[in-house]
Amino acid sequence: MILSLIILYILTLLYMSIAERFRSQTTILAIQGILLFGIAIARMHEFHPVEMAFIIIETFIFKAIVIPAILMRVIHKTKIDRIDASSSQFGSLAMSIAALVASCTITYYMADSRTDMIFFGVALYALLTGLILIVMRKRIFAHLVGFLIIENGVFLFSMAIGVELPILINLAIMLDILISILILGMFLRRMDNDMHTDATDALTSIKD
Amino acid sequence: MLTFLIISLLLAVAPLVVRTERATNIIAGLFFTVNVAAIGLLLWYGYIDRQLLYIFRADGLAVLFHLLMTLVLGFSLLHSSSYLKADGVSTNSYKAYYTLLMLLSVAITCVYYSDNVAMTWVFLEATTICSAGIIYHREFRQSLEATWKYIFVCSTGIAMAYLGILLLSTVAQHGSLDYGSLADVIAEGNPLYLKVAFLLIIVGYSCKMEIFPFYTVGIDANYAAPAPASAFISTALVNAGFLSIMRIYRLYASTGEVFEWARHLLILIGILSLAVGAMFLRRTNNYKRFLSYSTVENMGIVAIGMGIGGAALWAAVFHVVCHTFVKNSMFFSVGIIRHIYDSYSINRIGNYFNINRVGAIGFYVGTLVLLAFPPSPLFISEVMIFGEIIAVGSWWLLAAMLILMCVVIYAIWSRTLRLNYHSNQDELHLSGVNRRLSYSAAVLLLLAIVLGVWQPEVLCDVIDQIVNIG
Repeated sequence: MILSLIILYILTLLYMSIAERFRSQTTILAIQGILLFGIAIARMHEFHPVEMAFIIIETFIFKAIVIPAILMRVIHKTKIDRIDASSSQFGSLAMSIAALVASCTITYYMADSRTDMIFFGVALYALLTGLILIVMRKRIFAHLVGFLIIENGVFLFSMAIGVELPILINLAIMLDILISILILGMFLRRMDNDMHTDATDALTSIKD
Repeated sequence: MLTFLIISLLLAVAPLVVRTERATNIIAGLFFTVNVAAIGLLLWYGYIDRQLLYIFRADGLAVLFHLLMTLVLGFSLLHSSSYLKADGVSTNSYKAYYTLLMLLSVAITCVYYSDNVAMTWVFLEATTICSAGIIYHREFRQSLEATWKYIFVCSTGIAMAYLGILLLSTVAQHGSLDYGSLADVIAEGNPLYLKVAFLLIIVGYSCKMEIFPFYTVGIDANYAAPAPASAFISTALVNAGFLSIMRIYRLYASTGEVFEWARHLLILIGILSLAVGAMFLRRTNNYKRFLSYSTVENMGIVAIGMGIGGAALWAAVFHVVCHTFVKNSMFFSVGIIRHIYDSYSINRIGNYFNINRVGAIGFYVGTLVLLAFPPSPLFISEVMIFGEIIAVGSWWLLAAMLILMCVVIYAIWSRTLRLNYHSNQDELHLSGVNRRLSYSAAVLLLLAIVLGVWQPEVLCDVIDQIVNIG
């Protein structure tokens, strides 16, 4: 069960690299949220109501519903949809596969007996995919998507090393990230209004 | 602690419900008083090295930096009022600015006192959110760009730091991430994990301490924010970044070979920060960015001091303390310059010595103190760091530092002379000459100079405790 979900998660990351529309990328983020919810539930050894509630809030409500809804609203308000035309699908896919190979290699050398190798590798792949999106894409919205893929990778990473932080700390971390996303979305809309652009090329007016 | 936090938070949001700027000023005054009272109570009742509210601990490091923050906050609140009035901002904007500045100071205070690696991270992320509003306060195109970059890069950087914390937590027993518990077991951790964790945390927190590699967002933030807020960000917030890294550094002290590696990494980051600072101090054409690059340069020296260790570590902490006074004062001076010229452009403004003699003398003295000329306290810290570098026989490092610092001295001194004697090409707003503000900025410089000639025993004892990592 967990392995199937993990394979599906890898496929979403591969698809993310070739998706041409922001709506598709947002939908993939929502699917990733649902997959993370499934993985977290499947990994629970015994039923704890508080832990269960937290997983539902963090993955299903927060990652699969709230954040995609915020992103869809931004897409709707700013009327942006297609990623920049300059990036080729084949190039993105090749980079994504290279990232997957790199993740497997790093995992092989790094993971120790206390670490779940599969989770570790996928988390690393998610982090690299997010970073590639941020570095390679020109439109600001793609950077936001990259940041969210990194956040999902961090979630998987915490499962890989089996860390169970107190609920209060987890809640504070989740709130911090939610507020960051809200503020980023707000400023993205403002940039669209004030600067009439959503490309990083326009963000060069501050320099020495 | 809980009472202090609740009162602080209530006071911070109180300007949103009052109507006038005067009422906002009174609330800001009360906020400052509450901070002073909290420190007073901690010292009076001897709450040092005690756990407060499960996730906080009032150790010497936290109390020292809280004291410094309160001092610079008082001056920032005072200067902000004049700055905003001169800018002619609306009452709502005035109230929002004060609210955000006070919320930022609450978040920074929580970073200082946090006794848990994960909670330090949470509060550092909270400082990003509060700072964003202040950076955007002037609402011009560049401030929007700076705000976006600040939130995005800080959030990504902090996410990387969180990865480092997760790797660090592999050594934790029963999921406890408080510094004390981690210190007991960290030596048993996987050395590779510990190294990667340190790298990720340093890189992530570099956006707060304004060191290489994520120093750029701090520069842009200081450029876009109102000058008194820049003064606060480049001292209190930079100190929060330093303190967070210092706590991780102390945690690693018992890890043997990993600690050696971490110290080498700090030296590398320090020298790169110093190089970036020296290079851009020559290039920039904006006085606020100029001061921000000076922060990068000084934090680079601090990172090198931490990397060398021994007496240089003591000097690094002392350097941060003294830099707080000097940089705060310099930013206020630049704020006053903007009142007069309505510009920060290095190439266009000049003749300051004849326009505002008190301010010009203050700027001169500030420059000398910043450049570590005696009796500057930075002279003491830098000489101590050099002495320790010589003691460990790292001659290449000494040579690199001396060359880069010569570039820094040339860049800063030539810009100061230009400001005072170069012909002015911008329109003047002489009504902006406010000598009282210049005098208040000079008070901070005076405090720094006092520390240069006399280091109080209590300060030396606190720094001794902080650097006692054996």
